[in-house]
Parts: sequence; C-alpha cells; structure tokens
Amino acid sequence: MGDSEGRVHFRVVRFMHEAALRLHMKSVPLATACFIYHKFFREYAVKDFDPYLIGSTSIYLAGKVEEEHLKMRDVINVCYKTLHRRKAPLEIGDTYTALQESMASCELLILRCLKFQVVFVHPHKYLLHYLKSLQSWFHRREWEETPIASTAWALLRDSYHSSMCLHSNPEHVAVAVIYLALQCYGVEVPYSKYADTPWWKAFCEDVTLDAIKAIIKDILTTYDVEITFSTS
Amino acid sequence: MSKYDDLKFPFCEDESKFEKLAKIGQGTFGEVFKARDRKTKRLVAMKKVLMENEKEGFPITALREIKILQLLKNENVVNLLEICRTKVTPYNRFKSTFYLVFEFCEHDLAGLLSNVNVKFTLGEIKKVMQQLLNGLYFIHSNKILHRDMKAANILITKNGVLKLADFGLARAFSVSSKGLRYTNRVVTLWYRPPELLLGERNYGPAIDQWGAGCIMAEMWTRSPIMQGNTEQHQLQLISQLCGSITPEVWPGVEKLELYDKLELPKGQKRKVKERLKHYMKDQYALDLLDRLLCLDPVKRIDTDSALNHDFFWNDPMPCDLTPMLSRHGTSMFEYLAPPRRRVAAHPHQPPPKQQANPDQHFERIF
Repeated sequence: MGDSEGRVHFRVVRFMHEAALRLHMKSVPLATACFIYHKFFREYAVKDFDPYLIGSTSIYLAGKVEEEHLKMRDVINVCYKTLHRRKAPLEIGDTYTALQESMASCELLILRCLKFQVVFVHPHKYLLHYLKSLQSWFHRREWEETPIASTAWALLRDSYHSSMCLHSNPEHVAVAVIYLALQCYGVEVPYSKYADTPWWKAFCEDVTLDAIKAIIKDILTTYDVEITFSTS
Repeated sequence: MSKYDDLKFPFCEDESKFEKLAKIGQGTFGEVFKARDRKTKRLVAMKKVLMENEKEGFPITALREIKILQLLKNENVVNLLEICRTKVTPYNRFKSTFYLVFEFCEHDLAGLLSNVNVKFTLGEIKKVMQQLLNGLYFIHSNKILHRDMKAANILITKNGVLKLADFGLARAFSVSSKGLRYTNRVVTLWYRPPELLLGERNYGPAIDQWGAGCIMAEMWTRSPIMQGNTEQHQLQLISQLCGSITPEVWPGVEKLELYDKLELPKGQKRKVKERLKHYMKDQYALDLLDRLLCLDPVKRIDTDSALNHDFFWNDPMPCDLTPMLSRHGTSMFEYLAPPRRRVAAHPHQPPPKQQANPDQHFERIF
C-alpha cells in the first residue's frame, strides 16, 4: 500500500534472488534476469503488469539467453512456492496451465519490449579480472584476512535491486564495488601513495573518481530502501 | 476486436510493412521469403520462426540465432536487420508469428553451382573461398560454431560479397573447458566431419573447417563430393576419399563413442589429391583442400593458417565476382534450381532423393 515503485521493484528483485538460489542459477544469468526485469519496467508502469510474473518470466528468459537452461515447469513451481510460502506446492491443474500460458505469452511480450536485443554485458567478467590482478598486488596474508573479493561480489549482486544496471558502464561498476569493498574494511591498495596512476585507472582508463562515487551513492541508496523494510 | 486493430506496438513492427515477393527457401527451419520494405523499397529476406514447442515459449534455437547475429557484425556474415511479427487474429488463435528480417542477398552458392551457365575462374573461386574462410575466422574468433556449413547456407550478393547464413544451429563454444557435451546431431550429413559421425561431443571450430573443405571441392565438382545416405555410408565415403580412419592417422579416435560400433573400411589409401586433380588443376588448391579434409580434427588446418595458405597468395590472385555475377540477371537459389546431378566420381551410388532423405535433416536439440 502506498509503496513507491522503487520499493515494489526492490521486493520483486529480492524474490527473484531467492527463487534463483533455489533454481541453482549462476550469477550472470541472474544478473541478466534482473536487467530484463528493470528494462521492462522502464518502459511500462508497474500498475499495468504483475511484477512477480514479469520477474519469474525474466528468470526463465535469462536462462535461455545465457545458455543456462531452466525448465519452465521448474521456474513456475519454484517461483510459486517462493511467493506463497504457506501454500502447498503447485499441483498440475488449471492454475498450473494458466501460469504456463501467462509465462509463455509474457516471454514474447518481454522479448518485444527488449526489441529482441538479447546481448547483455555485465560487470561480472571485469570484476573477476580486476580482483585477480588486485590479489597479486596484495600481501597474501592481508588478502586472505579481508573478504574483499566476496564483499565486492555481494555488493555487485545487491546492486541489481535497483535499475542502476540499465544506465551504468559495467567496467565502472566493477571498479566501484571494489572501491566500496576496500572502504568497508579500511584497506588500501599497497603502494597507492607512490603510484603515478590510481589503481582504478590501471583497470579502466576512462573511469573517474566522480563516476565511482556516483555509482557508490546509487548502491548505498538501495541499502536505504532495505532499511525501510525492516523498520516499517 | 476493432478497438485493438489500431493499437501501435512501438517495439516490434508488423510484418505488413514488408511486401512478400516470393518464397526462396524451405527447410527444417521453416520458410524464407523475399520481400520488399513498402516504404524504403529495400529488399529483404524474411525467415519465419517456427513455434513448434509452444509449451517452452519462444524457441531457444531462434533466440540463439538472434543473439549470435547481434554479436556478429561482419562483412561476411549475414546481417540481421530486425524482428517483425504478424497481427493477431482469431485465425491464428491470437498468437503472432515472428520473422527474422535479413538484408537480401541475390544468390546462394548451391544455386550458383547448379547453374551450368555460371562459370567460376580460378581467381573467382579463390575470392569465394577467401571470403568464406574470412567469415569463419571472424565467427570462430568470437567463439561461435556455425554447425551447418553447406553450399546452400553460403549467400552471395550481386556485388560478389559472400555471407555466411543460417545460424539456426550455431552456438557458443568454450576453448578451455574439458568434457563439455554438445549435441552431435548437427551439420547436414554430406558436410558432416568424421569426428561428429563417430560421436564426438566435445568438438570445436574444426567441424566448420571440414564443411569449408567440402564446399571448396564443390566449387570445381559442382555438386557435393560425398553424398552419403546414412551415417555409416557417409563414413564409408569419407574413408574412400581420405583414407582409413585409424589411431595411426588420428590418435585418440579409438576413444570416440561410436568407433567400435560403426564399420570403418580398412586398408583404404588417402586419395584426396588423386581423386580431385582431374577437377582442380591448381597444386595449391589441392594442397589446401587436402589440409581441410584432414581426418584428425586436431591436425585439420584452422581458418588463420588457411587464409595464409599459398593458394590465396599466388597468381591468379583472388578477384572480384561482380563482373561474372552481372552476366546473370536472375537470382539463383538452390530452392528454385533444378536438382543437381551427381558427380561422375561416384557413379556407383543411387541418385539423391530430393528432400526425402531423412538423414539430410538434423534434429534441433540443445
């Protein structure tokens, strides 16, 4: 009631993350699913569509697009159970058939909304490379003692709760989550003080500190939305 | 219904913006039409998306083709312009049909080869092969396998530009991962390499190179060089041309799933050069073909080395196809051409059954 669109989307994306976990989906297909979801609602108002159906279908479609095939039946069952925790699992019957039909036509609707543009570039692959390089700059013990990699990865995953992915440069996002993770633990990249180029420029030439800070601000806003759920 | 008729869908245009001119293809994938954009007058080819398994939604093979074509923008790869759809009516049970819209190419290689009036000079053949290998080089370096090389899938524009087409069976591959299993039910039988026939499921770009070799020979023989009726028969034809398939010439072949299950002719000598020298007089051409039709996929020449082969760098150099093509005003597609006759090199085989041969077709499984 009276939820802002941002709050609705936050809740649906959280539902998508939960369903994806149960479906053993990998990070990139899940990221694609969230991207598709946000892209859809950039074009359409949330009051005109059931966001959970769009979310579930985005998961199914992302599986196809990223070659991590999911059976429609599994997606329907898992999403249903994730959404209706207390209800009994879905039986084959009218409800199931109706859901299956909705998902099939919804998939076509989403594809059309995407103009069939199904190539997605996510920060994940950049993040992996940057972290790998960063690891070799650090002393082994320091790297092992601070969970920078897993924190950066978690921040990236959480960033998909907002529609940030639609308008930010994937390389910049990868740099920003590392920057934020380092800040969280108060860790500095070794020999930063003596370096001519800041570490982020070494990873990505065109990123600026302002761009990094803008992305971090976006990410932190998402966590502010989360707080409103636990307090309200 | 009338109230919906006027609705505009901004993201995916109606197929009525194109005027269908003629059907130019029919295969396992569905129908292909030549059409004209009513507004811009641009010619296009429209490929219908078969919605065979509605239960699982939009076909993965079509989605894969769309995704791959969006990734691959190259002079020698067919250009996907857009996707369009039909209006829903009670007649189609309110379900749209989707079409992939491509730039129009006037000819396909199978059509050109089946027309006796079309004659290729050595320089022109070199140009065709160079563009074909260039296209393959591009898709392979983008980690995509075509998986359906054949003359009918090689399009040529009236300006002599070659385009690889029909990515309906294509998919991404990974170089590093061992033990990946892709389906081996790909590639039209006559162009299918020995490793697929023997059940290999962790294959790579070399499968397309074999097809390139078959097509290369076809440039001279004018019809497919190995027209098997069954997988067993195809292996027999391969052995008769390329020599017996043994662990000596192909280390590791004995580990393939079907190595013991299929009958492999023994004591056959490799006769690629000998059999084709009557058609192909050029020594460099014979040598390149010999390397493309190498039994062991590991030793089969890759696109980069093939493009550097002396064949392309000796006189006559590859030359423009436009003057030759301009002598032939009408489009030539295999679909529209009369059935091709077999080469004299295989007089002992039964004539091909047009369209009826079930082994020519492949299942579309992912």
